[in-house]
Amino acid sequence: MSRLRRIIYILIPTLSFLGVYIYDVTQYATRVEVGDGMYVREILMIISFTLLFLLLQDRRGQRVRGIPKELGRLLLVGAFLASITALASFLSSSGNPDDVRQISVKAIDGFLSFAVGIPLGMFAIITLLTIKDLVLYKRRKGAWRNFLIYLVLLVLACFSTLPLLTVEFALIASSITFLAIIMVIVNSFKQNWIVTLSRREKIYSIIYSALLFCVFTLLAVLSENEFGQKALRTISAPLQHFAFLNFIFGAIYSGMAFVSTLFHLPTAEQYERKQSELSSLHNLTRLVSQVFDFQDLVNSVTHMTLDVVGANRAWLEIRKKKEVSSGLAFDIASQQNISAEQIEAVTGNGASPLRDLLVDSKKFLIVDDVPNDRRTKHLKGSDIKIASLVSVPLISHNELIGILHATKDIEYGFDQDDVDVLTTFADNVTIAIENSRLISESLERERLKQEIMVAQQMQKKLLPEHPPQFPSLQFAASWEPSMEVGGDYYDFVNLGSNKVGLVVGDVAGKGVSAAFYMAEVKGIFQSLSKLCKSPKELLVRANETLMGSLERKAFISIVYAIFDYVKGTVQLARAGHCPVVYVSATKQELIRPNGLGLGLTDGEIFQQSTEGSIIRLTDGDVCVFYTDGITEARNAEGDEYGYERLLQVVTSTRNESAQHIMTTLLNEVKAHTGYQSFADDMTLVVAKWVGPTQSK
Amino acid sequence: MSDFKIHHREGEGVNVIELKGYLDAHTAPELETTFQKLLNDKKFNIVVNCKDLTYISSAGLGVFMAYIEDVRKNQGDIKLSNMTAKVYNVFDLLGFPILYEIYKEEKEAIVRFTQPKKS
Repeated sequence: MSRLRRIIYILIPTLSFLGVYIYDVTQYATRVEVGDGMYVREILMIISFTLLFLLLQDRRGQRVRGIPKELGRLLLVGAFLASITALASFLSSSGNPDDVRQISVKAIDGFLSFAVGIPLGMFAIITLLTIKDLVLYKRRKGAWRNFLIYLVLLVLACFSTLPLLTVEFALIASSITFLAIIMVIVNSFKQNWIVTLSRREKIYSIIYSALLFCVFTLLAVLSENEFGQKALRTISAPLQHFAFLNFIFGAIYSGMAFVSTLFHLPTAEQYERKQSELSSLHNLTRLVSQVFDFQDLVNSVTHMTLDVVGANRAWLEIRKKKEVSSGLAFDIASQQNISAEQIEAVTGNGASPLRDLLVDSKKFLIVDDVPNDRRTKHLKGSDIKIASLVSVPLISHNELIGILHATKDIEYGFDQDDVDVLTTFADNVTIAIENSRLISESLERERLKQEIMVAQQMQKKLLPEHPPQFPSLQFAASWEPSMEVGGDYYDFVNLGSNKVGLVVGDVAGKGVSAAFYMAEVKGIFQSLSKLCKSPKELLVRANETLMGSLERKAFISIVYAIFDYVKGTVQLARAGHCPVVYVSATKQELIRPNGLGLGLTDGEIFQQSTEGSIIRLTDGDVCVFYTDGITEARNAEGDEYGYERLLQVVTSTRNESAQHIMTTLLNEVKAHTGYQSFADDMTLVVAKWVGPTQSK
Repeated sequence: MSDFKIHHREGEGVNVIELKGYLDAHTAPELETTFQKLLNDKKFNIVVNCKDLTYISSAGLGVFMAYIEDVRKNQGDIKLSNMTAKVYNVFDLLGFPILYEIYKEEKEAIVRFTQPKKS
């Protein structure tokens, strides 16, 4: 309601009262009826009180206060008004104002009526509004309907007392009043607000409602006695009836409230307890969503355990992921009012520790009298003040993931309700903890994925961007890991004096560990290739270097070739790697000089068993280097691609460019596997000697 | 791919391990546990019969590399037998015949434990 409107709502009634008062006194003095003055007067009064009603209703809506406090205020104002009215009634009854026909007396008398009547009327409005809030508390369909019926009857009853109506109307008027009082009684049964009060509030309510009953009874009597009736009727006859009916309502309703509250008193504690359990569980559901920080979560859990069952100490033990030799192991995730040493003394000690009992039974455990219980004998005489104890297992998918413990300082501190609540609580805690773990795991997975992506990009940078090209010698290369990163490696190095080195290698295994070794091999190859004259020498020295750094079960197969792009020769040595495919116009062969894989054995044996080989190229000769991902690529039947097919494809495409041969070969291999994801890393390098004749 | 089985026989101071199916990165841990168990039990004379081994990957070969040193340190050995040509080729490419004794028949391998080659 705007300020302006509020002022108008106050101003109109004030002016009306003033006007009516002056009109009354003047009329009395002059004894002249001024036309329809009577009607105007009544209408003005009705409008004034309607406006006051709206004003008071609006003011009430802005306040939110506890019901007992509301009742207290009502009582205070009511008692004050009742005493004023009683006093005024006592004073006025000493003389008989009707006999005194003096204007001054009439004026004083009228003023007294207004002074008492207006506050009484307003208080009746407040009473009605207060009762309306109480009746419609947690409203149900019937409540509103019944209250509405009362309001309608109230309005009708009030209007039936208008002095303008005929005498025959009196019977109807009194029956309406009678019905209104019946509705008062019906509505007085709506006492829903009592249930939600705490014990303390209920005690206040009992006192207030008893006193309110007295005050309203007194007010009802006063509004019907000679003075009160006159005072109210001086203002408006309907007002008197309105006040009377509402005071009756007030008296009956407070009476009923008193009785109801009295009956509800014993259940107050129960209700309060349910409330606190509910709010705890409500908090927990909120907790379930706050699972991003595990420590926050478990701290809230133990803290809430104290609240939920009123425990003195609480702690949460979470099972370790790894088992120790003696069985399951636990971490104390969070504790309240107890130290880690004390916890260990309580749950970890004794002939059969409590922890183990729970692990075995997977059921809750309750010890009512800790010092004298068989299961907690070990605590007798210790300095830990624990008299009763409950332990609840947290079970997820039939697995014990943790235990929630709560203790009290008094014997028999936990009843069945406590255990029920804790068990429910534990279920929720389990879900929250599981969710928290899942989230952190998926975050971790996401992070690893990112890392792998970075590793993939970095590994690609370790490989040559383009194979080198010479007028007499073509190269084409392809590298595909089966996972994000791989253990295959190929590289070229310019050795000077018309020589270029090519290495193709395969680290045993796949994935990240293989990728690390692959990077190491690149380092070794890049540094040794400049120093070593022959491929064999490089392999021997590479083996020496790698023996120290490879883990036992890891090894690397490698083939190293040095091309002389002027003379047309290839020197090569093989360390356990797939044979080199060599196809010329006259022959197709697998070149396979002896050689052990790198990292298998140390110097002596390696050097003895590794030999070098040399090929003299003629124009159009093709050499193909590859890893076993090519030859071992399998089709759906488990049939490997093999050397035969490899030789065949190279032979049939021998006259094409190196790039063409490589593409064809790769397509053939993929077609063989049915274009499925391949099981191993695949590397393919094709070298073709076109010969110096074709260069200028 | 996980179609891999290990059968362990014991006789006359020699432990025979029969491998069947695919030995690759997925199944290699199974063979590792078998070797580890033999080593824990101080059984160092081992023959691996590869009669039904259809495929071996580099990870599979790695398992032999991982244990051979410990076995030989304890005067034992891992000898291999009954390889199919395809599997032998994989061993051969890497030069394993230089490092391991590989026999056609399991019996020959077993005999070698009691009558070592005079070399």
